Order: sequence, then structure tokens, then C-alpha cells
Amino acid sequence: MKHYFKKISLLDYKNIVPKSVIGLFIILILLIPVFTQSVVIVSTLTLTGIWAVAAMGFTLVMRTGQWSLGQSAFMALGGYTSAILTVQMGLPFWPSFFISGLVSGLIALLIGMVVLRVGGVYFAIITLAMGEIVRIIALEWEPVTRGSRGIITSAPPPIVLWGHELVNFDTSLAPYFYFMICLVAVTAVVFWRIGESRLGRTFYGTALNPIMAEHQGIYLMKYRVIAFTVAGIFTGYAGALYTHFLQVITPFVFGFWQSIQITIWSIIGGIGSLIGGPILGTALLYNVGVYLGRTDIPGLQAFLFGSIVVIVIMFLPQGAGLVDLWKLFWTKIVWREKEYKTDEPED
Amino acid sequence: MSYLELKNVSKHFGRLTALDDVSLQVEKGEILGIVGPNGSGKTTLINVISGYYSPTQGTIAFEGKKISGLRPDKIAKRGIVRTFQSNVLYAGTTVVESMMISSYLQYKTNNWQSFLNTKAWKKDDERAVGRVVELLKMLDLQNDMNLPADGLSHGYQRLLGIAMSLIANPSVLLLDEPTTGMSHKEAMFVVDKIKKISEQGITVILIEHNMKVLMGVATRVICLSFGNKIADGLPEEVMNKQEVVEAYLGTEIL
Repeated sequence: MKHYFKKISLLDYKNIVPKSVIGLFIILILLIPVFTQSVVIVSTLTLTGIWAVAAMGFTLVMRTGQWSLGQSAFMALGGYTSAILTVQMGLPFWPSFFISGLVSGLIALLIGMVVLRVGGVYFAIITLAMGEIVRIIALEWEPVTRGSRGIITSAPPPIVLWGHELVNFDTSLAPYFYFMICLVAVTAVVFWRIGESRLGRTFYGTALNPIMAEHQGIYLMKYRVIAFTVAGIFTGYAGALYTHFLQVITPFVFGFWQSIQITIWSIIGGIGSLIGGPILGTALLYNVGVYLGRTDIPGLQAFLFGSIVVIVIMFLPQGAGLVDLWKLFWTKIVWREKEYKTDEPED
Repeated sequence: MSYLELKNVSKHFGRLTALDDVSLQVEKGEILGIVGPNGSGKTTLINVISGYYSPTQGTIAFEGKKISGLRPDKIAKRGIVRTFQSNVLYAGTTVVESMMISSYLQYKTNNWQSFLNTKAWKKDDERAVGRVVELLKMLDLQNDMNLPADGLSHGYQRLLGIAMSLIANPSVLLLDEPTTGMSHKEAMFVVDKIKKISEQGITVILIEHNMKVLMGVATRVICLSFGNKIADGLPEEVMNKQEVVEAYLGTEIL
């Protein structure tokens, strides 16, 4: 909405330079599997991207003012759907993968239609409970989910075109990496369009002042359900990719701690931004978390992440996060712009 | 058949009767003033019409169709839009952003067209933005477009509230005390604008305590007291009626 009444000319270097730096950075990331075959680097990046999609889903629901504290349940739903369809029922990979996100989205739709009538703290509690329910079902429904043993899935089949094997998921990790890039890109494009269109504005309205929005013709539940369902679909795809990447899914992969981590990454990255914030937050903190997990100090990760969340919420107001420091870096340090300040309202 | 018709509307909150058997007809193009002492049910009346509460008894009909019991967003879609008694805004947005969020009902294109950024949507969006600018100019807010809405002065926040209701394309506008906390000059400015809104064919219902404002603008006034309608008529008639004076000032004991 910021571009209204502010026409951006082609020579607006203050806008073009930061964007081209981001573009260059993205190209560099895309080329990483070409330069290195390191399993550690490529697999960490792939997992980062997968979790970033989940974090983006959380941010989209947050845009409507709702706390979805069970986003990892949708990853479990997507992952289990794909695993059950391919392994237990013998369906080919691609249709199963396609269905997995839709199943997860459908369940989000059904839950949303019931819970999002009230929203608020009830929604937070019920999504929290939903995460546990999905985990318990996965644990107890042995004939289908194989209980605590989990399901061993296989890699996606090689893609063959005109008799040539183009992509083989068994020989290297690069195909998974580009698969992840595709998923992140599709999610980013969809979320970008949602943010730019009337939907994004309406989401803002429902979050900032539900009563006012309702009196201006916005049906709150409809827009909350749209956000929750879209988030559910893409989170489900992220879960399915995760399952086929690690080639195993157990009830313990997507639990309460993962949901909370998704929340933390999104908040620290900046919930004011639908794409950049969650991706940046996940990229930094997932990797820091992996590193901290290797140190033998129990609770260090939880302690540090908790402290960072408190700092971000206290010092960066109104949904701002690390991603906003990027803008600050260019305006304050590079261009040395002085901000035009308006009178602060007195309390 | 009146334009907006309330038939024997009552609203109870537990044992408290906020509105007691109120019947009211509003004709198209009227500026109806609602007066009454504090706690007499004025805001409840607006809340019942706009769908924030559904009436305990009685029906409300708009253009011949029943609207009581509908959700607020459906009533807003039918064309009844309200403002709020306190300055209720979208926190953290600028003036123009608040207007763009409120412009939901301005659009003829749907969410898919908006999502896919079609030509029809772009055209529609341009028209909506034009309308936003037009309304902000009309309400003297054009210089504050890119300022944060909650940084505006009290009077301008009231005006922004009116602008945000007008962008939702109302045919009936419910104004809940539009001039509270304003100086006489500012209040007269609002009166002027309400007259202009009325000239555009919008029916206005306003709650007002300031009698001078009401005398200048209303074509008809009703008075509520303890949830009952005790007077209905031309402003001068209502102001001088014995019951109204008693409701405001009490009875003489001699």
C-alpha cells in the first residue's frame, strides 16, 4: 500500500540499488550447488528453505491478527499424506505430492471455519491443541501411520525427458535444493500477490480493528479462513518435501517445539513483511539453532531464542523485525537520509 | 413503506432495558437527529441498526427488506454504514492507508481479479483511489494523506472516521456524535460537511448533544429517554416540548 501517491521513477536509484543487491544475493544462493557438492551446506540450505515456507505461512495468518501456534501440524499433515499415499498405497510421487498440500489445506479450511468465528486467544489455544492431536493420531493410528516407527519414504523418481535422465534425486542433493527453491518461489509469488492485492489490505483491516472492519463490509471469518487455508496448503507442501528429503517421517519430527520455532523465526524476521521477514528470520535462526544444538549445553537454544524474541518485541515496534534493519541500513547508513518526523501522539 | 423502518424494537441486556419498544420511520434524504440524556439508548439504537447487536424484539427493515439479525458486514453491504463514538481507527496506518482498507465496498471487482492483477482490477483500483482523494479533499484532509492516522488531532480523527465511512458507499450514514470534543468553529465545519453529504443523496442519522449543531443541520429530531421515544418532530418543536426539557433537566419540585 505504500506506493499509493508516490510514483517511483525509473531513475530512483535509492530503490533500485538495494533491490539489485538482493537480486545478486539470490543469484549467488541459486548457484551454490554448482560450486559445492558439500552435503552439509546443500542440505542445511534445503531445510532452511523448507522451514522458511512454514514461517511464511505463519506470517500470513498473523497478517489477519491470529496466532496460529500449531503450524508444524500442517507440515505433519502434508508429510504423512504424501508418505501414506506413496508408501502405504503405492501411488506415484508427483500426484501424491500434489495431493498432500491440498489435504493439509482442506483440514485448515475445516478447522478454520469452526474456530475462526471467534478467533483471538481461542484460536491460539485450539491450534496449539491441534498440533498435539495430529501428533497423537500419528502415534496411535498404527495400521496407517505405522505408529512410532514412522514411515520410510523414498526419493522422488528421476525425471526423464526424451530418453535422457535430466534429474536424479538419488545421486546428488542439488535436485532437492532446486525443488526447495521452486517451492519457496511459488509461495513467495502467491504471498506477494496476496500482500499487494485487496486481500492483503483486508487482512490488515481485520487484524488492526476487527469491529471497524466488520462495519465496513468485511466478513472477518472469510478472510481469516482464506489466510489460514492458503498457509495450510503451502505448509503442507513444505512438510511433504521435508518428508521426501529426509526419507522418513515419524510423529516426533513435527511437534510443539517446531511450531514454537516457526513463531520465533517469523517474529524475529519481522511479521510486517510477508516474504522477506520469515525467510531472513529462518535463514539466520535455523542455522544458529542447528549450530547451538551441537553444543552440549542443554536449553541454550531456547534461552537465546527467547531472549531475542523479547528484545525484538521490545525495541522494534509494530511487527518490525530484522528485515526492517535492511531498509534502515540503506536509508540511514548508505544514503544518510534524515527522516521527516511527525508529532507523536500524547498518551 | 418507509426507507428505513424500525418496528417495536426492544433491546435488553439481562434485566436492563436499553431500548423499549421504539418505532421509527426514516425517509430517504432526511437528516435525522437523535437526542437524549446520557444512557438513554442513543448509541444502542445505532448499534442495533448497524447490526452490532441484534434486537431482542421487533424488526428493522431497510428498503422493504428485513435487516435485523444480519451480521454487520451484510448490513454495511446493503448500504448502512456507521461511525463510532470514540476515535476508532486502524492503528499504525497512515490516513491514506486507513482509507484504502476502508474502501473494501468501493470495488466492483472480486478478490481473484485483484489477486491476478487484471485490467479490470487496475481500472477499479484507480477509480477507488480517485474517490479516496476526492473524499479527503472534501473533508479537508488532503494535506495529511501520508501522516499516521493516530497522530492527527482529535477533530481531524473524527473527520477521518466520517471519510472512512463515506468510502464504503453508504446510502444511510449513521454518525455517532461526530462533533464531540470540537470547538464551535470545528463543529460548524462538520455541520457544513454533513449538509454536503446529504446533498449527495445520502440519508444521515446523527446522535448529537450540541443543540446548536442539531438545529442547524437536522430536518427532524427524535428524543430518547430511558429507551423510550418521547418526542419526534421538527427540531424547534422537540426542543421546546415539556417532556424533553424534563428528561434533560428534571422536573420542578414546588
